[in-house]
Amino acid sequence: MTPAPVPADAAGTECGWPASLSLAYRALDHRTVLAHRAHHGPLRVQKALYPEGPAVCHTLLLHPPSGIAGGDRLQVDVEVGPAAHALLTTPGAAKWYRSAGPLAQAEQRLRVAAGGLLEWLPQEAIVFDGARARASTCVDLAAGGRFIGMDLWCLGRTASGERYRSGRLAVDTRIRLGGRTIWLEQARIAGDAPLLGSVAGLAGAPVFGTLIAAGLDADDALLAACRALPDPGGHGGVTRLPHLLVARWRGDCTQAARAWFVHLWSLIRPALAGRPAQTPRIWNT
Amino acid sequence: MNTLALVRLLHLASPTLPVGAFSYSQGLEWQVDCGAIRTEADAGAWIAAVFDAGIATFELPLLAAQMRAWAADDIAAVLDLNDDYLASREAAELRAETVQMGYSCLQLLKALPECAGVAARLADRGDIAYPTAWSGAAVALGVPVEPALTAWAWAWAENQVMAAIKAVPLGQTAGQRLLMALGEAMPARVATALELPREDWSNFAPGLALASCRHETQYSRLFRS
Repeated sequence: MTPAPVPADAAGTECGWPASLSLAYRALDHRTVLAHRAHHGPLRVQKALYPEGPAVCHTLLLHPPSGIAGGDRLQVDVEVGPAAHALLTTPGAAKWYRSAGPLAQAEQRLRVAAGGLLEWLPQEAIVFDGARARASTCVDLAAGGRFIGMDLWCLGRTASGERYRSGRLAVDTRIRLGGRTIWLEQARIAGDAPLLGSVAGLAGAPVFGTLIAAGLDADDALLAACRALPDPGGHGGVTRLPHLLVARWRGDCTQAARAWFVHLWSLIRPALAGRPAQTPRIWNT
Repeated sequence: MNTLALVRLLHLASPTLPVGAFSYSQGLEWQVDCGAIRTEADAGAWIAAVFDAGIATFELPLLAAQMRAWAADDIAAVLDLNDDYLASREAAELRAETVQMGYSCLQLLKALPECAGVAARLADRGDIAYPTAWSGAAVALGVPVEPALTAWAWAWAENQVMAAIKAVPLGQTAGQRLLMALGEAMPARVATALELPREDWSNFAPGLALASCRHETQYSRLFRS
């Protein structure tokens, strides 16, 4: 069957599969507990895991349909309370399917109270050619709240040779600290846009991503250690901004990007969390 | 636009405005250092790419929104956009650049009676981005939005071309050819920027972000970004 042409301005959010998930973590006697969870539609969490002791609650987010189709709306709300520490990840890549017109949307609202820490480390997102996708992540940190997040994208199913030529992708990331925006990126990436080939844009590379640690004042030694990390091919860059440490990647290979980000995360974690990195086992499968 | 407003706009867009623009290359110097820019054509392609990946799609519409906010005397909106602009600077040097130029512009406005009201409104507000101070001055001096955006784009391009002339290096005539080509693209970009709703602004420029990150540790440098 030939896929239907993608209308330029189909609003079409009527159809599709809405899903939402709401999680709240609380610290109780040096433990972090998943004190509240509610879901609607096909978004779930597996039971809380404690591979590094009771202080850090690891949680696996599941989206059983395994892909996001035109018209779907996913909403995830996570709240981390004072002194609580949660690490969230996913069992595999998120897939944004080709759409016959309607927009697919995922919205993440992440809140961290003073003394709390959220590690938001989903695996990569793959955007199929012809997808119409809008992903937005809003992180609200109270003064003294901390966050680290990985956001990795691959345009097209590159493993099967697909190129992203006709889709629409919007990715918004906003981080607030004490109510004031400290990081803002709005990416509008159309499949036919010059940005995909431009030297200031993606320069033909299908993979891009950002790792951001927020709520820490990275010292010179940490910045130097991050910069000293080998980056074969010169695809990465690291910078320090007020209350932020930011690493960027642009390249051809998702695995290489992820390996670099995970290595950076392991360097940053002692400064951010006061404990060494403990790689979630799901990443090794 | 009346002739006095035009004079004021030429004044604000002049490379002699003492805000230090000449000391910044915005990643261009790294592109030269790493060998990605060797020729006039390379320099033109890079500058046009940066223009399209952020100046035209984020900075110009934000400047327009700030001018409208200044005209409505909505200082809360001006400052909200100031936060967004600072937060959109994706590497340390790009942020430091706009904070320094904003500071210098503010010092200048304090000393000019025609603009002192703008300076007073921005006093003690923390880091002020260059567009925030400049847009206030433009409104105070009676400059309309569309020509202001055009002049801002032109001043940016002129500064980038001057950086390329020094860093590549290129001849003066090569620089003038680049400015002709960059100028030609401006009317359509300005027209789009005037209409672009805030949720459609895009500051996604990973190539610029990487160049700027790498410039921070570049061994020998003429420019501060």
